[in-house]
Amino acid sequence: MSNDPIMRKERLDLTRLTTGIPGLDEMIEGGYPFPSVILVSGSAGTGKTTFALKYLCEGVKKGERGLYFTTLSEPTQWMLRYASQFDFLDQDYFGDDIVYADLGSLLMDPDSDKLLDAIEENIAEVMPQRIVIDPITVVGGMLKDNYRTFLFDLSNRLKNWNATTIVTGEVRPDELYPPEISYAVDGIILLILSEEAGARRKYLEVLKMRGTNHITGRQSIDITRADGIVVLKARF
Amino acid sequence: MDGGVVLIDVPSTQFVRVNLVLLKGLMEDRGRQGIFISVDRPHQYMVHLMRMHQISLGDVTFIDVISRFSSDRKGGEARVGFVDGPFHIDSLPSALEESSKGQGSGFLPLEDCGFAMIDNIAALQIYNRNPAVELFINNFILTAKSHGSMLVPMVLDKSRHESLYDSAQKLSDVEIKVEKGLSFATRNPSLEFSGNGVITEADKNRGEY
Repeated sequence: MSNDPIMRKERLDLTRLTTGIPGLDEMIEGGYPFPSVILVSGSAGTGKTTFALKYLCEGVKKGERGLYFTTLSEPTQWMLRYASQFDFLDQDYFGDDIVYADLGSLLMDPDSDKLLDAIEENIAEVMPQRIVIDPITVVGGMLKDNYRTFLFDLSNRLKNWNATTIVTGEVRPDELYPPEISYAVDGIILLILSEEAGARRKYLEVLKMRGTNHITGRQSIDITRADGIVVLKARF
Repeated sequence: MDGGVVLIDVPSTQFVRVNLVLLKGLMEDRGRQGIFISVDRPHQYMVHLMRMHQISLGDVTFIDVISRFSSDRKGGEARVGFVDGPFHIDSLPSALEESSKGQGSGFLPLEDCGFAMIDNIAALQIYNRNPAVELFINNFILTAKSHGSMLVPMVLDKSRHESLYDSAQKLSDVEIKVEKGLSFATRNPSLEFSGNGVITEADKNRGEY
């Protein structure tokens, strides 16, 4: 590399989207790379959906449109009923600023090409900067043999649509993340529920974040009505 | 304005939306045909968006410089020429010129092109040193200007690519700033180049685009 300041290649800083999670941006150089695909992994009750919803609500405040795919066929009515308990979620966001799309019916008779087409049709119509697929692991259970190829194509296309996507992954309490997804994503964030001295404590760990000098190690988190997930003891 | 360089300052997260608005405005509202050079993603994505938003593909020729690096199986039928890769991009204007003269293998009559767009100029910095990108911009604009009334919208994020923006600014005839309010403008995309100015949510509400 030349030392000549004119000839030296300037490092092109990645555009980043703020996470909406207090304390997390500071751990990952200001936010998620844009575009990218980030896996948020955790067992039941660790706050994956809350994490994803906060990401979309953060986008609305910045004029960035959100698209929320559910793979569980959960009607908007029920998702909103629980999510409305958080102060950060304004119900008016849903409809225009955050569009809700149900992939559940497509998973009754799973076909990876049709699923990919349906995802892309929604993206092309909505043109979001922020996407959530919650949870992606349901798709793995349905597609089986085609799952890896599907994940590779999905990840590639989500980035080419110029969005940063959060995919959530449900794991058993003894697992860190779904291994078949890890190679297809640019970042992995673990939400961990740990039993310590008779109490359950929650942690967040950034395991991988491509192009980012991230803080490693488990950080304590709390889930509050005001902010959703909050990183309590980030060591920065 | 009939021809010239329009520098458009846009948050980088909104480049795709703005490009779609520009294509619609130039082709449908202004009746122009032109070329769209894909650097940041394969051309099929803009083809998909144009179909979805019912914008005719008949008046645009894509020059795709990234597909061969993308391992993307996505389909999308359009008139397209492929370039080997985004490296040595400074040679592209002369390749377009050659093509226009019928000396190459292309099919682009540049005299008939009413616009030329690049998605996106900043992405060229991933593959080329800054002097090469600046040389490309300069030569690209010279090539465009030498072919009648071609309009060259240059979409850049000033806050992120200051040096590149400054270079483009010296070559531009009109400068427009697009602010956060554009976010949902693609519901009814159209754009009017009326001169220097700042396009804001208020403008959108007034129906200027």
